[in-house]
Amino acid sequence: MKFSRLIVQLLLVVAVVTSIVLSFFIWTNTARYQRGKNIDVTSAQSNKNEIPMNQVISPTSVIWHDGTDQHLIYNSNDNISLSIQKVMQDWKIDQPKEVSKKDGAYYQKVIQGKNMLQLVYPTSIASSTFGYLLNNDSLKNDKGYTFNRILINLKNKKDQNVYFANDSNYAVYKAKVRNASAAPITKLVYKANINLKIRLDIMKHGVFTIYTDPIKLKSYSYVISGKQDGEYSTALFDSNSNGLVTSEDNGVYTYNYGESKRLISDHNTEELTFEDYTDTSVPKTQFAFLQRGYQKVNNLQNSVSNLRLYSADWKDKDLIFREYVEGFPIFKKSQFGSIRIKFSRKGSSEHFLNKVLEVPVPSNQAATKLKSTTEIFKGLERVGYSPNDIQAVEVGYQWENETDNEKVVDLKPTYYIKISNHWKPYNEWTNESAEE
Amino acid sequence: MDFRRIEVIFLIVFFSLDIFLFLSFRNSQQLVSSSSTNTSTVAEMKKRNISFGSLDTKSGYAYYLGSQPDNSLAQNISKLRNQEVQYDEDSHKITSNLNSTIAVTAADRKETMDKFIKRDMNVLFGKDYKYSPQLSTTSQMVYVLTRSLGEVYDKTAQLDFTIEDGRVVGYTQTYINSTIILHERQAVKSEKDVITNLYANSEIPNNSKIAYANLAYTKLLEAKDSTIYIPVWFVTIKNKDSKVSSIKKINAFTGNIIKSSTTNGDNYSAQ
Repeated sequence: MKFSRLIVQLLLVVAVVTSIVLSFFIWTNTARYQRGKNIDVTSAQSNKNEIPMNQVISPTSVIWHDGTDQHLIYNSNDNISLSIQKVMQDWKIDQPKEVSKKDGAYYQKVIQGKNMLQLVYPTSIASSTFGYLLNNDSLKNDKGYTFNRILINLKNKKDQNVYFANDSNYAVYKAKVRNASAAPITKLVYKANINLKIRLDIMKHGVFTIYTDPIKLKSYSYVISGKQDGEYSTALFDSNSNGLVTSEDNGVYTYNYGESKRLISDHNTEELTFEDYTDTSVPKTQFAFLQRGYQKVNNLQNSVSNLRLYSADWKDKDLIFREYVEGFPIFKKSQFGSIRIKFSRKGSSEHFLNKVLEVPVPSNQAATKLKSTTEIFKGLERVGYSPNDIQAVEVGYQWENETDNEKVVDLKPTYYIKISNHWKPYNEWTNESAEE
Repeated sequence: MDFRRIEVIFLIVFFSLDIFLFLSFRNSQQLVSSSSTNTSTVAEMKKRNISFGSLDTKSGYAYYLGSQPDNSLAQNISKLRNQEVQYDEDSHKITSNLNSTIAVTAADRKETMDKFIKRDMNVLFGKDYKYSPQLSTTSQMVYVLTRSLGEVYDKTAQLDFTIEDGRVVGYTQTYINSTIILHERQAVKSEKDVITNLYANSEIPNNSKIAYANLAYTKLLEAKDSTIYIPVWFVTIKNKDSKVSSIKKINAFTGNIIKSSTTNGDNYSAQ
């Protein structure tokens, strides 16, 4: 009798201990299981058919000094700037050091340097951003320096440096490079099939790319695509359209998602504005700023392969993206480029055009011969704009709808001039054609 | 006595609790193992009896290509001998009936026809075509056009032989003379990306075999009198039991699955 009671008590102790041990295992284990699952989901979502960030934020022009002259080069079969970036990913670049600052004369000498290859961003980026884009650890932690030109000497083997230059404050930085060779880059440079003679000049409003001779540029045609308002609202409101309040006024449609989000679509101009009043956090680093812009852009458009970061205003938290064709920006009928994104404590806003370039098609238009930039300056002076009034000059592609086929757009090259903060094609400033 | 009864009840309760805990612990263990194989889709596909050769992880580059309507078939049609030939001006297509049919077997048909198309009096530009077992059936042998940038799998650049009762009786032919690059090269999805993506989208049923996976250019759309071609992955999935096979097409630029609309000429859905 007593013996059996002892067994029962012993078994009870064993059962209690087992239950405690098992509970402990389950608790610790479930936690691990759930964490693992989360990682899995995020990694699967992040590489969902997206164009990599270092393609959207990448240098748009490549300038090469062949020993006698500077040339703007491009390869219409293989984007030189993206290929050079790929080569640079294997380089070991040390932290950059300042060489000079605010010295215009020295700056001009650097950017006109012999045998120098330059990669030029349309806007300046921070060295840490550059580190993230190249996945270079020593640059990732670097802070402070911003630049818009990367310069590499392709001939001088003793110059084991890469230079960074910033047009806005004429600063030059230099960083030691190891594990690098000029040979693959030289090979890419010689494969260029567009080669335009240029000179880089410093004027009142900064560095200008001057085409010293008339330039001949091809025209392009693209099939364009747009989306219905509904497709944007599903993507932007991340919910079904049940909570949408819609109003219409003269072709301007407004979709409200409660008090927090609003989409305004102007069907006359095909411009849309999206405001998100819940997105009130302002990015703290430049990389976060650009990364969030890049994510928003990916959310807006199916294909961002032609899109490039055109301007990043860190002070106003304002980003502008433009579509590029063969290294030249496309100017549409809007003042803001293709997509403009602004962050603020009151919420973020996205301003964008519905029409995007989708598929390239052969153009039946002949190549256009544009005047030299010197001629353009003379023409502007004739109508009363002195070179000091001109804030920027850029060769870009003009967006022309085909009358008989509204799905196809023709892109024709012309000069775009920025005067008193307005971009306009040369013929609108002067009533004179930019063509020779 | 009462205390003893409580002890027994406690024992039963804790024992059943132990069983419950043990079972749920084992359950969670299984979940862990299944989630870890999830990361390797390839292993999971093997487990579901989906067989395939080694998958290429290298992602290459490809272009948007354009071609203009081409009359080189019409211009050279007089070179053809021993056949009744018709030429369709709209589709730029030759339809030919051979005067003397050619006996072929399943085993030797590639060899026989490869030799046949080499001669200009038999088939125009025959050297530019290559046999595609993926697109062929028992009653039809498909030859695809090869260009320096890759092969073209499309009705606008194809040579199809009709086989009746073991004899090749005729063929239809379309041709594109030259293609131009319309845009700088762009990265394309690798074979592995494409297969795992198909599997993730439940396009590959269990117990099947991936018979072919080829990257080729195919027509995307027609605009401004030109035909635009894009790279597309053609993946043939064959059911191991029923032997029925189907071809899935994936846009190699975007990775999007192109919903099958084989009859649709203006295949704008390829986006």
